[in-house]
Amino acid sequence: MKRDLAKKIWIYTVMIVVMGLAALYSASYKNVRVPQTIFYDQLVFSLAGFMIMYLLGKIDYRKFYDVAHAFYILNIVLLVLVLISGRYALGARRWLDIGGFSFQPSELMKLSLILMLGAYFSDRRPRLPYGFFSQTQMIFWDLLIPLGITIVPMVLIFKQPDLGTSILLFGIFLSMLFATALEYRYIWGLLGVCLAATPFAWNVLKPYQKDRLLVFLNPNIDPLGAGYTIIQSKIAIGSGQIFGKGWLSGTQNQLNFLPERHTDFIFSVIGEEWGLVGAICLLTLYFLLIYTSLDIANQVKDKFGMFVSIGVVAILTLQVVINIGMVAGLFPVVGLTLPFVSYGRSSFLIFVIMMGFLLNLSKRRTIF
Amino acid sequence: MRIKIIRLAIIGLFVLIAVDLIYVQVIRGQYFYHLSTNNRIRIVPLEGWRGRIEDRNGKILADRRVSYNVMVAPQDLLDQQELFRYLAKVLSVDQKKIEETYAQKKHALFAPVVVAEDIGRDKAIILEENKYLYPSLIVQEGFRRSYPLGKNSAHVLGYVGKINRVQKEKFKEYGYSPQSMIGYSGVEEYYDAYLKGEEGGLQIEVNSRGQQVQLLSLKEPATGQDIRLTIDSDIQQIAMDVLEGKTGVIIVMDMANGEVLGMTSVPAYDPNVFVDVKEQSQIARLFNNSSAPLLNRAIKGLFPPGSVFKVPVAIGGLDSRKITMHTTYHCDGSYEVGGMTFRCTHAHGPENLIESLAHSCNIYYYRLGLVLGADMIQQYARQLGLGSLTHIDLPYEESGHVPSRRQRSLRKKEQWYTGDTLNLSIGQGGLLVTPMQMIRMMATVANSGMELQPHVIKAIGGITVDQYDLKGDIKISREALETVQKGMREAVTNYSGTAHALDLPELYVAGKTGTAQTSGDQLSHAWFVGYAKGEARNIAFCVFLEHGDSSQNACLAARELLLGMQAKDLL
Repeated sequence: MKRDLAKKIWIYTVMIVVMGLAALYSASYKNVRVPQTIFYDQLVFSLAGFMIMYLLGKIDYRKFYDVAHAFYILNIVLLVLVLISGRYALGARRWLDIGGFSFQPSELMKLSLILMLGAYFSDRRPRLPYGFFSQTQMIFWDLLIPLGITIVPMVLIFKQPDLGTSILLFGIFLSMLFATALEYRYIWGLLGVCLAATPFAWNVLKPYQKDRLLVFLNPNIDPLGAGYTIIQSKIAIGSGQIFGKGWLSGTQNQLNFLPERHTDFIFSVIGEEWGLVGAICLLTLYFLLIYTSLDIANQVKDKFGMFVSIGVVAILTLQVVINIGMVAGLFPVVGLTLPFVSYGRSSFLIFVIMMGFLLNLSKRRTIF
Repeated sequence: MRIKIIRLAIIGLFVLIAVDLIYVQVIRGQYFYHLSTNNRIRIVPLEGWRGRIEDRNGKILADRRVSYNVMVAPQDLLDQQELFRYLAKVLSVDQKKIEETYAQKKHALFAPVVVAEDIGRDKAIILEENKYLYPSLIVQEGFRRSYPLGKNSAHVLGYVGKINRVQKEKFKEYGYSPQSMIGYSGVEEYYDAYLKGEEGGLQIEVNSRGQQVQLLSLKEPATGQDIRLTIDSDIQQIAMDVLEGKTGVIIVMDMANGEVLGMTSVPAYDPNVFVDVKEQSQIARLFNNSSAPLLNRAIKGLFPPGSVFKVPVAIGGLDSRKITMHTTYHCDGSYEVGGMTFRCTHAHGPENLIESLAHSCNIYYYRLGLVLGADMIQQYARQLGLGSLTHIDLPYEESGHVPSRRQRSLRKKEQWYTGDTLNLSIGQGGLLVTPMQMIRMMATVANSGMELQPHVIKAIGGITVDQYDLKGDIKISREALETVQKGMREAVTNYSGTAHALDLPELYVAGKTGTAQTSGDQLSHAWFVGYAKGEARNIAFCVFLEHGDSSQNACLAARELLLGMQAKDLL
């Protein structure tokens, strides 16, 4: 039984990675704009990633609990450092160069937050709400403190600016909060407050973020500017029809009509070249992976393990759904990668670590 | 419990995504597939070369030459300052001007902007050699019209320009695109269908930058046909020299077949002005000029013919047998009708028809006009082609106007008075003709009734055009015409003839002078319309000076013309 879940995780992950590599090969095939080196880069990194995943499966996941707080604080420091001295690329300050190795602390923050919230929620003991004071205490400890833990990195990442990751963190927080025993009325209350604050949030957005949202509502406002990407990616996916145009023969892809097709928009390559069949295949693999993760969360007896796997499920689901939805024109364009498929070391590393964690958990879920 | 809800939420989200994918890829798949095909296929038009126009001796009147335009592709533009500094240096223009042009014309990221036109071959080569340094630089080859002889034959040739919106709609089905060059006025317009090259095109597959990836198909552009005109550029040059500083028209036509050898309208314009984009202000000046240099007076100018009109009146009198050549009227300098006095230039005494033509006696024609009647005068004028189009192969010809009793009562509800008949008899009073109509009439008379079709086309694409070699006979008695010929010859040979200045040795010249009064205080128009029989060919010719005062001026100009032609063995 437990071996079975671990095997499933391995199979789905490897299949997704292989599909992603094939798509990446096509996206960089005989191309000047997207150099072929990125494919080999990703290939080597995938192999390294599987090693990390395997090794993490061996380490006791309780060790994650021990480092969660330190990890979180270190990550906050890194985020502050990025804002001060990060590398500027594509109009945002997201990259940190350390010793010739560059990575995005915002990607790492997804992991840190899951661990931190997991550690925090698992330490909380359920209380019965007696009287006014205990109720306010409960709101404070079970709702406001974790909210604060989330909001600090959210604001720091929003400043970079990176709206997508920042919203994603909030999504992780909501999902994990939902998994605690907190009464529904507080969760709905929080959502209500957030909804009411949305109009004020509009004014905080950068002009390009406003553009993207407006363009989402009507891509034809600016077909050559902000709307270009979304129009072209929609054309790419739609023109794939049921069976696709064939590997390496997507015209939108091969003729460079798709910007950012090796990173955020990699799904449009899949949709164009492999059609609905390929797209649904990938979608199914993701679904099975997430479903298995949720099984682990359901069966694990340890609270920290449960919360962390819920967090992993949340981040996987949100990134897959938002990314595909955005590429297919269902959601506005926010910079979120497609897990295991988009080119990018930071992103890949985070998901590999998460899978390693799940592997570990699947083996030890009956310890207690 | 809560995990179950999370599970349901996840299923819901994935189903939502799957449904969206089905919608985009299956239901709207065809539509997006169509869009993706359009995305990558571009048609690049290739300009067809316009045919040449040459004169009857093969001298080039309208040529084509290769021109080079400089374009900048905005999406490949890396260092704007550096490129424009370089361009300014090579093209030796102000850098600011290039920047302004670029800023004005730039409208889309993928559309190249033309920053300099027609830069010349040397500069194009320099730019082409250094292109690798500036990826956004494009040197485009195109075609330009040039008119090597400048003002010579300008009105016959017309000019070319970008197709305008009205014509674009009108000619869309005939293969004209929005970028097409089209002829305006003259031969360039009338024979545009032949001259115009056929546009070809490349069908190419492009990437998102619009750069060519591969060639899908090619349609070669075709060069337009060369056209040979009946015009002789040497005669044109002589005519230009004769009319130097004046306003007027000289037409020379071959009496044998209706070929127009020369057609000069002065003031003229230089058609090269319309080719050069830098000459916008000059074009505006041409359009606003009060002496109308763009007007081809030979076929569009409407003038009263004055005494030249005595020729059809005399023919009418003889043909209708109202008079004979011996019919004599006495001229005592003035003639009174209905309380009004109509004058003659001199008191000529008794004049017969021949003398009346030689002296251009008004009194004779007042009386002849009354004998004939206005209706008959109008009928004979019409029969000789006045007041109607000559159908020469040039656009925008005017038909002119011969007043008649019927027309006046129908249109203006006015009565026709005897005075009107008298005015009409000497070519005044609302009578308007073009110089082209006058020369055609003269050719008909000189050919004793054989009517010709005037034309300027000789050959298209090496094939001789003979549709215009039409010869019709008008229903006027030969004797009448030959009598009038004698009268017109007398005007030249007789010492007291009005055109005695044209009595040249070794040349048979005959014709009729005319001094047409104009409204107001302006000087009269001077006419001489006649024909000459030389060794080389027989020609009909028309010299018209707008506000040229006495007809003597026209005679002197005609003399200059004939002597000039004789000197060059063109007669």
